[in-house]
Amino acid sequence: MPLSTESQSEDEQYVLIANLDNARNLSNILKAITCKDHAIFTATANGLKVTVEDCKCMQANAFIQADIFQEFTLKEDSVVFQINLTVLLDCLNIFGGSSVGGSTALRMCYRGYGHPLTLFLEEGGVVTVCKINTHEPEEPIDFEFSSSNVTNKVILQSESLKEAFSELDMTSEVLQITMSPNQPYFRLSTFGNSGNAHYDYSKDSDMMELFQCNTTQTNRYKMSLLKPSTKALAISCKVSVRTDSRGVLSLQYLVRNDDGQICFVEYFCCPDEEVEEE
Amino acid sequence: MNSVIEGKNVKVFGKAIIALSRIGDELWLDPMVKGLALRSVNSAHSAYGGFLFSPLFFQQYSLGSVLKQGSEVIKCKLLIKSVLPLFRSLTSIERSVERCHISVSTATDRVIIQFFCRHGIIKTHNIHFQESEALQAVFASHLCPNVLKAPGRLFADMVMHFPLFQEEITLSITAMKVSLRNNQDGGKGHMKTMYTEMSLHPDEFDYFQIGLDSDITFCLKELRGILSFAESQSLSVSVYLDAAGKPVCFSVEDGVLEATVLLATLMDSESNDRSPAEPLSPTTLRCENSSAQPVDVFEEPSSMHHNIPDEMIASSQASTIISSPKRMRLRPQIMGRTCLGVASKECTSSSTKVCSLLFKALSSEQDDGGHAARLPVLACYSDEENPDDNHPRSSSL
Repeated sequence: MPLSTESQSEDEQYVLIANLDNARNLSNILKAITCKDHAIFTATANGLKVTVEDCKCMQANAFIQADIFQEFTLKEDSVVFQINLTVLLDCLNIFGGSSVGGSTALRMCYRGYGHPLTLFLEEGGVVTVCKINTHEPEEPIDFEFSSSNVTNKVILQSESLKEAFSELDMTSEVLQITMSPNQPYFRLSTFGNSGNAHYDYSKDSDMMELFQCNTTQTNRYKMSLLKPSTKALAISCKVSVRTDSRGVLSLQYLVRNDDGQICFVEYFCCPDEEVEEE
Repeated sequence: MNSVIEGKNVKVFGKAIIALSRIGDELWLDPMVKGLALRSVNSAHSAYGGFLFSPLFFQQYSLGSVLKQGSEVIKCKLLIKSVLPLFRSLTSIERSVERCHISVSTATDRVIIQFFCRHGIIKTHNIHFQESEALQAVFASHLCPNVLKAPGRLFADMVMHFPLFQEEITLSITAMKVSLRNNQDGGKGHMKTMYTEMSLHPDEFDYFQIGLDSDITFCLKELRGILSFAESQSLSVSVYLDAAGKPVCFSVEDGVLEATVLLATLMDSESNDRSPAEPLSPTTLRCENSSAQPVDVFEEPSSMHHNIPDEMIASSQASTIISSPKRMRLRPQIMGRTCLGVASKECTSSSTKVCSLLFKALSSEQDDGGHAARLPVLACYSDEENPDDNHPRSSSL
């Protein structure tokens, strides 16, 4: 792969080097969390985590494990920077993003605090170098969502939810999620201009892979915050929906990339208001 | 009203709503003993569409509430944009919907449309409705001198040649041919528009009856809905046409449903000085029941302009050709017998008034005969509530 245009000594200056034979394995998953311009990149030995936040009450994370990369070298325990996600995606797709001509290879390098993120992209023998400025990272919100505090959890096959999300009445300001050990089990509701709509998933549905609901909970979330999660839903094969005792929502999407490897996307969202339990 | 539509009929129902969405912004729902009628009219009141689904179309169909005795069957109207999204993706409906329940809940003022889908998924939509008098058009198609019938495919192929933005087309019929052309704005100059004309021999049609050579010009946009419906359901379309100025009727039916679109036609299609903005313009309507005097847009015809039929091609339909101008003056009879309600118009060669379908109230009170000056109207609707819902009406759609 003709990306190693630099000498070995230059490589030593980088605190992070990540190589991918197919840049789409990164760009596709980043597209799924693009709802804001800026993202926080956190690189650890486990891999790469990219975080996007909105209004201080919604957070989207994309996890690309280290073993997805053909090479993942980290000189420090953790490397964090903030970058313009839209610009990064434009660069990753600089060769047009179509799969016809073969895939784009990526080498991503970062020298550390204050330096830009350098991307070497190659397709068909043509190499492009992009340098994108990095910024002081903001502290991502810690939603303090712990598995021990989870009250209700379901895992659904994405296929069934995709249709529901694409049909959601966008004139509704909120998306209401009801989870209950009794009817209607799992319900998505909207309250729009023409009336309200409910999507009910039975616990016995063959789309329902896991159903663990102990208490009846109804929570409302701002539609504008949750609608971007449709992008993650679109590329996923399964989704887990969990709420904790505070009504904070965790959506976890299992995504298979072009090479069949698994990545995760996670959305956290705070509830809009207190709703009386039915 | 409670009804259940099963399986592939849900898609047909959806296609009907899509066809009606091409006509107007509101959807009138009229549950009747003979079936469920869905109707719409455009804002200019120059196009009307109606679908009647007989009880056989449904897996279950029942009127009225069992809770209240003597309760009225609610007739209502909805915004089409509330209902259309539910049926927009016909492929996903076909793939996943097993059955659809439609009911009207007076308690909550909602129309409830529930889709029972595969994999144990139920989608429920509660849509606001507004109580309304039924919208209905009366049109005596059997009195039309010209009748065409052909598979929907043929008509779809005919209109396909006209661009989607083409507003009006002219259909000409003589004993020798049927032709379709776009209606030119003569004043603008022929250089700026593309002129398209196509002709068909009468043999192309499954049924061809000519009583009167005529050229009628009508709006194409509102027609496309029913033609798409007919083509996708592989049904034949019957066209009932008369002289310019009289409405044209396109109708489709199979064993369990009937669909009709009525379009107003330009009064004088030969005129070249018509500006695009003027015709098919809304006429001012007044409810017959209201205290305001009906606005008579069209004057009583003083002289009639009526082509003598050149020839009649014998048909199995015994359609009489009425040549008497007095036909134009028939007042509509709201109750009872067949009536021909035709909006009359001033027939001077220089004027280009458009014959619109005038809508007025379905009234239970028979208007006193003194309303001689009141014009015959084609179709009626009213927003006012009417205690007497069931009028025996023939030729109603």
